[in-house]
Amino acid sequence: MGLLSDPDVGSVKWVRLLKRVHGPVCFLCYVGALVWFALLGHREFNNETYFSENALLPGLVTNEFNAEQTANQYFNELVQELQMNYEDIDDMPVPWLVGKMSQIHLEVYTHNFTLHYPLGQGQVFRGTNVYGILRAPRTSSLEALVVSCPFRTIGSHQKSTAAGIALMLAFAKFARLTQHDQLGMQAWLEAYHGLHNEAEPFHSSLGSFWKPGTPKFNMESFFSNIRLKGRHKKALNPGTLKGRSGSIQAAILLEFNTPKMKYLEVKIEGLNGQLPNLDLVNLVHKLCQKLDINHSFGKSYSWIRGRNSMDEWKNGFLTMFEMVLGQIDGVPDGNHGLFHRFGIEAVTLEGRDVLDPSGKVPRVNSLSSCSFYKLGIALESILRSLNNLLERFHQSYFFYILASTDRFISIGQYMPSLCLLCVAMLIRALSLWVTTLQQDGDYNDKQAKKSNQKSSKHKLEKAKDSDSEEPGEQETEEVAKVKTPEKKKAEINMSVLNIGVNYLLVHLIGYGVMNSPFVFSYYGSLYYTKPPEVSVYFGIISIAIFLTFASPFLPYLLRKGPISYEELSLVNILVLTELSTVCLSVAMHNFSLGFAIAVVYTPLALMTSVYVRGSGKARACLQLLKRLVCLLVHPLVVIVLSMIAYSRHLVPEESWLATLSRGSDAAMQGIMFSVVDSMLYGNWLFNLTTSVILPIWMIFWQILNTKVNARRHQRTPFSIILVYCVNFM
Amino acid sequence: MDFLRRYLSCCILFTCCLCVRCDEFKEELFFKPLPPTHLYSYFQFVTLVDSELSSLHSHLAPRSLAEVVSRFQVEELHLTLTEGQWRHHQWGYPVLDAAPGAELYAWFSPDVIDVDTQWKKLSATLSGLFCASLNFIDSFNTVTPQMALWPMGAVKSSQNVTSQLRYASLPREIVCTENLTPWKKLLPCESSRGFSALLNSRMIHNTNYHSIGVHVRKICKSSECLETQLEFKQTVTLVYDYDIIKSSDWSFRKLFGQGLPGACPLSTDSKIYVDITSNGTQPFTLSPPPDDVILSQRGRSETKLAVYKIHPDGKMINIGVKHKTKSQIPVSIHPPLFFNRYVLGYGKEFGGIVTEITNNCLAPINVVVLENAPWWLPIQLSTLRINGEAESKLVQSQYYSPGRSRQKPYHLELLIKLPPKSTTTITIDFEFVFLKWQEYPPDANHGFYIGSALISANLPTARNYTSLPITGTTFDSVINATKLWYPIVFRTNGAMVSLPTPDFSMPYNVICLACTVVALAFGPLHNICTKELVLKSSGTSLSLTQKLFNLFKKKKD
Repeated sequence: MGLLSDPDVGSVKWVRLLKRVHGPVCFLCYVGALVWFALLGHREFNNETYFSENALLPGLVTNEFNAEQTANQYFNELVQELQMNYEDIDDMPVPWLVGKMSQIHLEVYTHNFTLHYPLGQGQVFRGTNVYGILRAPRTSSLEALVVSCPFRTIGSHQKSTAAGIALMLAFAKFARLTQHDQLGMQAWLEAYHGLHNEAEPFHSSLGSFWKPGTPKFNMESFFSNIRLKGRHKKALNPGTLKGRSGSIQAAILLEFNTPKMKYLEVKIEGLNGQLPNLDLVNLVHKLCQKLDINHSFGKSYSWIRGRNSMDEWKNGFLTMFEMVLGQIDGVPDGNHGLFHRFGIEAVTLEGRDVLDPSGKVPRVNSLSSCSFYKLGIALESILRSLNNLLERFHQSYFFYILASTDRFISIGQYMPSLCLLCVAMLIRALSLWVTTLQQDGDYNDKQAKKSNQKSSKHKLEKAKDSDSEEPGEQETEEVAKVKTPEKKKAEINMSVLNIGVNYLLVHLIGYGVMNSPFVFSYYGSLYYTKPPEVSVYFGIISIAIFLTFASPFLPYLLRKGPISYEELSLVNILVLTELSTVCLSVAMHNFSLGFAIAVVYTPLALMTSVYVRGSGKARACLQLLKRLVCLLVHPLVVIVLSMIAYSRHLVPEESWLATLSRGSDAAMQGIMFSVVDSMLYGNWLFNLTTSVILPIWMIFWQILNTKVNARRHQRTPFSIILVYCVNFM
Repeated sequence: MDFLRRYLSCCILFTCCLCVRCDEFKEELFFKPLPPTHLYSYFQFVTLVDSELSSLHSHLAPRSLAEVVSRFQVEELHLTLTEGQWRHHQWGYPVLDAAPGAELYAWFSPDVIDVDTQWKKLSATLSGLFCASLNFIDSFNTVTPQMALWPMGAVKSSQNVTSQLRYASLPREIVCTENLTPWKKLLPCESSRGFSALLNSRMIHNTNYHSIGVHVRKICKSSECLETQLEFKQTVTLVYDYDIIKSSDWSFRKLFGQGLPGACPLSTDSKIYVDITSNGTQPFTLSPPPDDVILSQRGRSETKLAVYKIHPDGKMINIGVKHKTKSQIPVSIHPPLFFNRYVLGYGKEFGGIVTEITNNCLAPINVVVLENAPWWLPIQLSTLRINGEAESKLVQSQYYSPGRSRQKPYHLELLIKLPPKSTTTITIDFEFVFLKWQEYPPDANHGFYIGSALISANLPTARNYTSLPITGTTFDSVINATKLWYPIVFRTNGAMVSLPTPDFSMPYNVICLACTVVALAFGPLHNICTKELVLKSSGTSLSLTQKLFNLFKKKKD
């Protein structure tokens, strides 16, 4: 810090070098980050998965699953039951499930929950979960495994999960029969139920878990198809559970439509980008491979192996990219995602057929179909392996990206790409800092020459104080001290208070926006009788437009004089530091989100500069262009644009107009769901965007829209950066 | 040969009769089908010794145990080693309940002044006797229950029993054959004859629940209680699952792998009781037919017991049950009092323990709940909530003794009046603590065990109640034993928490790295220190004679 606050720093060699080359260096960092990320898909840059936990011992036990007949029987019975009695009413066959589960001597419990929808006029949804507990012999119910299955009604537009339930029941029966083989410490078998009154956009069913806020946990998990559960205190009333077992070690969720499915998709993405332990994911893939079940992850299919390294890289990159895209929104892609928050490792196994809504898959027709026997064996092997565990999952990786079913990228390999982006921003901040410092320094030097011995004493003091904590403030004070005797009239061109108030105000506005959906949905439904999603969407659009117009005037709100060049530079430095810190800290938990923010906002951050009044027409045009770019990366605009792109990708044959309206609808739904998810499950996306990203954007917008007076010692080195930035934009 | 055996047994019987002090040995076996598909079998071996005379001179009582009792001046001792969890909610009540793992509690005689030292010595000795890790019992896991436990035996009425009591449980203890073998050695017939011959470890460790126990107490010889006797009771509790024996028709051969080779010749009374109350709803037949069927009325509940008297004649007996129809699912009748215990919360900062107690009776029940949390799980009294209320009217009396780090566990006792037909929830929060790195057990990420809570209750009804009355020694005492109250002590299930655990592979990595660095540094350093650098002329090649000469020169050195 001594170097940073030393006024003589301008003459140091590295500072001069930095000022000259920081533009190209930032640009190189940005490009390097993207290239690094793209390279991670290649074999040379990622690793093969391996088992860290030796106790898993996958596939070393003889499988004994023999309940294929029973599974088929349950499947037929369940389908029949659903068609006969539950065709019209969208409800779960609770009595049937309870009956079957008690027949195989499970401890059966039902669990009711209610959801008070937090937005709109407080609709109430009710649901039931059915779960059974299979107590393992000779243990005292200390640990548990969960096998669960969502229930979807016939009327639901999603795939039904009857086969999954049937398999689960059959497995329970079998497990029961071979109990003395120490099969399960405990295996839980749940079936579940939900309501389908809500529209379902992209992400299918989300299960539910315990009571928010209060530390109520360790129920054996209940599920519901609707979004429930959450952080919002009053939103969900989980009811009470009658039967319990020990702490849950791992959970396997089944989503099988029919036993005759072609391949198995292993879904891992959890809430806020949390992932299950790599050992568990690896275990599932390895066992599928061993038992000859076709399995896939994203765009990587076990039955397709690249012929050359280019193909392989392409596949790896696409899989990786898809996973990153899926994690950005932080919404889990299955019920397993809700387990992760409670420290339970969970994956969902989804059976997929040839005509699956998830898209076409090459050479899927040539695959042989699965059967209950194969699935049962697979489930048995997985559970037996989990049963072998002596300790909870704690080895292997919790932060990784999968490039294929058997290759992964660890946190040490993907973090550098993000760090490069943040380094670019920090270099820019540093160069801005030394620029302002040097100008002050020049100014001081000149003053020092003029001044008498007294002021040189000041300088000595200054040198002593240069190691202080807050260099900026210290500096200004010193500058002021030196200056005031010389020129009373010269304005103090730095006021930390003024810019600090503005900074705080902008962030408070962000916090306000975060809490606005309640108000919007309440008034929207009260005065315009609009559904909450419409009122929230238009409310947010209007507030965004308002802020866009209002925010450039905010800094003038609490001050008298014009803003000085130094102040604005300091704001710029602060916001650069804040953005890079936010990106890094978010990426510690959810790399995808942090990376996406960094990729979108680094160009803006690099090209933002303080505009000085009367610096020529070309600069003015450039400034206009920068403002345009800034508008383009407004969080709301980014969401709408990406939704339009996504709907174009989904339905490429549509006309552009239709795509636009579809994209806008999707954005509306997307915003609504991010709001609801943040209230019910504790998803961060909405909170982060409104309370951090939006204020940062506003500050950039302020900087771009403020003109400052030219300084006497004008020597801006920004032109070089600007040329580079604009070039690459 | 046969003659000789008979002669021998006659001789033994004769000596038995000669012994006027009348040491007695009785063995009993009790079967009860449990809903939904389980079978409860309870072995009880009772040895009665005149305690006035030195028990060391008894020919039936286990000498090793008697020595321990007299040496440490133990008034009453209860030790159980259990694997599995008794499911009170489904199965009803056992004759004697036991906590999962090892549990030991004892009352010392009032003459003992330093109870804690005696207690430590006692647990260490028993640890050797039963090959169990009872030596881990120390002051940091021992409590002195104030209300929950009362002596089962005869004590002088003026005596302060509470201060002489110590209780400890080790929930992580794993019970296996190594504990059963020394336990069997304490029996007069060991495992060669009598009911203990059925205790084949291969079969009984395959059950859903098994528990072995040793209980020593003083009982009155007569109703005036002028003289006392020492009672050594050894018990085995087994719960079989019909799925393990592959059908609901059971027999000795299926359960124990062999038939019963007659009674122990040293026993004065060998009886087998089979609870046939459920015969009305699920008809079955016993083979061979029982010697006697007793209808017992206790409180308002009726129990039908089939009784077999077993003689020491060495004949193989294989008692079995055959169901007439395909078994239906029996509807389990909920017992008057059942409970559940679990841990709340996730993450590594705070958590809570919840004990739910349900009173299924029409009358209120008074219970004492003893929560016993280890020192690394500090429970805070301020967070105690009963049905969500901090100040509950249900609590009649309360005792709390805060723990001390590495010295004393947290101990909370509550006397609660449970309202009829209601569930009472007791919640108390705890904080997680960091342990020192040597204090983590092996497999640290497995989690830490929290022991069972004790619930002692006076039940107003005898439904599901199978325990012997407090004055009773044998199963005869159960018959028509109507009392006002039926006292019982339950153990809830334990729980597991995972404490913040460091990455133990880190030190290993550091050690590996450090060793590599040291090894790499050591080689060159050693070389430099021990070897001399000598300038050697180069260029001129040596002639053959010179080389030979040099060779000899070296040898001389």
